Amino acid sequence: MPELSYLEAIRQALWQEMKRDERVFLLGEDIGRYGGAFGLTHGMLDEFGEERVRETPISEATIVATAIGASLLGMRPVAEIMFMDFILLALDQMVNQAAKMHFMFGGRTSVPMVVRMPGGSGSGAASQHSQSLESVLMHFPGLIVINPSTPYDAKGLMLSAIRNPNPVCFVEHKILYKTKGEVPEDDYTIPIGVAEIKRPGRDITVVANNIMVIKTIHVAEKLSKEGIEVEVIDPRTLLPLDTKTIIDSVARTGRLLVVHEACQTGGWAGEVIASVVGSPAFDYIDAPVRRLGGKDIPIPYNRGLEMAAVPQEAEIEQEIRALVGGKI
Amino acid sequence: MPVPFIMPKFDMDQEKATIISWSKKEGDFVKFDESVLTVETEKVAIDVPCPATGTLARILFKDGDVVPVTKVIAYILKEGETLADLPNADLPTPPSKPEVVPVSKPVAAPQAAPVTATPIAIRMAKEEGVDLSRVPASGDRITREDVERFISDQKSKGRVTVAATPAARRVARESGVALETVAGSGPRGRVQSVDVVTAAKSIPVPTTTVSGREAEIVPLTSIRRTIAERMQQSFQESPHIALTVEVDMTEAENTRKRFNTQVEKLGQPRITVTALMIKVVAWALVRNPYMNASFNGNSISLWKDVNIGVATAAPQGLMVPVLKGVDHLGVSEINMRLLDLAERARENKLKLEDVQGGTFTISNLGMFGIRQFRAVINPPESAILAVGSVVRQPIVVDEQDRVEVRPILSLTLSADHRVIDGIVAARFLSDLVVGLEAPSMLLL
Repeated sequence: MPELSYLEAIRQALWQEMKRDERVFLLGEDIGRYGGAFGLTHGMLDEFGEERVRETPISEATIVATAIGASLLGMRPVAEIMFMDFILLALDQMVNQAAKMHFMFGGRTSVPMVVRMPGGSGSGAASQHSQSLESVLMHFPGLIVINPSTPYDAKGLMLSAIRNPNPVCFVEHKILYKTKGEVPEDDYTIPIGVAEIKRPGRDITVVANNIMVIKTIHVAEKLSKEGIEVEVIDPRTLLPLDTKTIIDSVARTGRLLVVHEACQTGGWAGEVIASVVGSPAFDYIDAPVRRLGGKDIPIPYNRGLEMAAVPQEAEIEQEIRALVGGKI
Repeated sequence: MPVPFIMPKFDMDQEKATIISWSKKEGDFVKFDESVLTVETEKVAIDVPCPATGTLARILFKDGDVVPVTKVIAYILKEGETLADLPNADLPTPPSKPEVVPVSKPVAAPQAAPVTATPIAIRMAKEEGVDLSRVPASGDRITREDVERFISDQKSKGRVTVAATPAARRVARESGVALETVAGSGPRGRVQSVDVVTAAKSIPVPTTTVSGREAEIVPLTSIRRTIAERMQQSFQESPHIALTVEVDMTEAENTRKRFNTQVEKLGQPRITVTALMIKVVAWALVRNPYMNASFNGNSISLWKDVNIGVATAAPQGLMVPVLKGVDHLGVSEINMRLLDLAERARENKLKLEDVQGGTFTISNLGMFGIRQFRAVINPPESAILAVGSVVRQPIVVDEQDRVEVRPILSLTLSADHRVIDGIVAARFLSDLVVGLEAPSMLLL
């Protein structure tokens, strides 16, 4: 199977879907000649032309509003928000318009658009270009929030996102862009709202998203050599959240840790934990249920401080050891 | 003003109604026209619609009370209203002047002013077995709310305040281990499930000397506890009647022999008496649907499926694996399924679905030489058949008083008299006799 990077996998999904469906088009800042801030749309202007790869003014509200209008008229727009941090400028369009139209018009219309947005820290881009705002977007019914961790999931979920009739926030992670993995050339989709057990284990369930999945798997592989078996669950879609897979897992392992880069306070770990402790898995919980989120501070520019602001492998390992060893 | 909820008058000549049950309680949000209680007149049971939307407050009459029509039975608080908005006068017993009854105070507090209680508080205390002198009054009198708070405080004191994980609490519950006796191995002494499991294993050791007598104390296993609860519930709640018949098993034995000649040729296991018995019981159950039923309080379920449980001794205790849809199965199939279930019961490999869904049970102690016995019904079923031993004994076989030695089986049926009349049970047993004495009747 061909190996692609996370970035190439998303580009391949866009490319193939634009070939397959002429309603699909791209819009965003600098996505044409420049190929996008991370080069994700590189080459697409030459292939598909200015009609289908549209450069926009620097106005996120305009980008999302244009995508909404186009989708109402039967197109399948895929908009790029250069950094996830800027989605806040378009939040009114996203939340008060896109998320609600299907319901306020009695189901007679829908907004089948995808808004791509790279988030996350680790690139030295400082506070205004490094946030993980997926927990914010999860709070709005009517939206779908997708958050892939591997190239394979990124392509399959992007194809599902474009074909889904709802507005989708497709949250990418800029540090994952260069990670590689096997990606089939074919057209395949991954269902929205279905979590995946990335690694089975009997001792503790760790739920993590995007880059934290990769970090947790590294830790799990290390601990496995000592006989500690960590089950790693990647929700893949945060809204709707597949709580069943998580609840079933905790009922087996009796322990739960949720890891995310988003700030801990108000982060989606709280949502996962509340779902689990209120479920029948409660009677199987045998240790405190814990979360490990980003520190409640703006992401610093300083390299060392930036690393310290979000969970790293050492901290994940420490948390797992403490929970499994009965030390917390 | 809160809306008074008045006992309506349904019939021209109706004077009173009996409250069967409130479906809402105080503090519940209720909607206009929604049914909030059921009452019974001399003619019918009727759902009473709510007169307004709001919060149900001060229920003045409880389930079972007989209430004159047009009497206020509760109030509906509208938005913004509180209990303080309720009229003072409207308490149940003759209301011209609120009756105030002194309550004896313990000598420990002689200087306190004599405490009094409202009639409703007194009645409630009496019903709940609460000593009113121990109830603190929030105002100048002990009110119903004070008694309720006292009762709920007492209940919450029953909670075990031991640091333990949810899983440890569950294991303790299931294994009957007292959490407070378990040493926790977790941080700050927290009890974890592994601690309870260890404790449960070590418990059978103690021999205690209660009133000087030695006994080995065996903690209840989860299965023993379930059996105990279900048997007690069944024997207390369902009035058992028992009927016994004797069956000449000559023809049944002959039929079984003929079957066995055939199944042996096919290399199948030999047909047991129990398998044949199950087939005949299923046939008789189809003919007597009330035998294959459950009592629901206000209705009876006549089950469409005939699922027969067979009480089986297993190492961990009595198990009742269930054969599903028996009325559609042949004797040979019943026999094979039965052997499979019995084997899995002995090996403790029964799945949940193997022991669920029974509609009738057969219990056989014949192999121990028990001539006949009465079994306790396995709820929610309504009947159980106790199968005794087959004994060869002389009986009169024809009208010329000719005596022959025949294999005689004794069957005793225990039936829930709420569902099954004696005559229904008798018909069922007589069908069983027909089916066993002339198995070819099943072909009719």
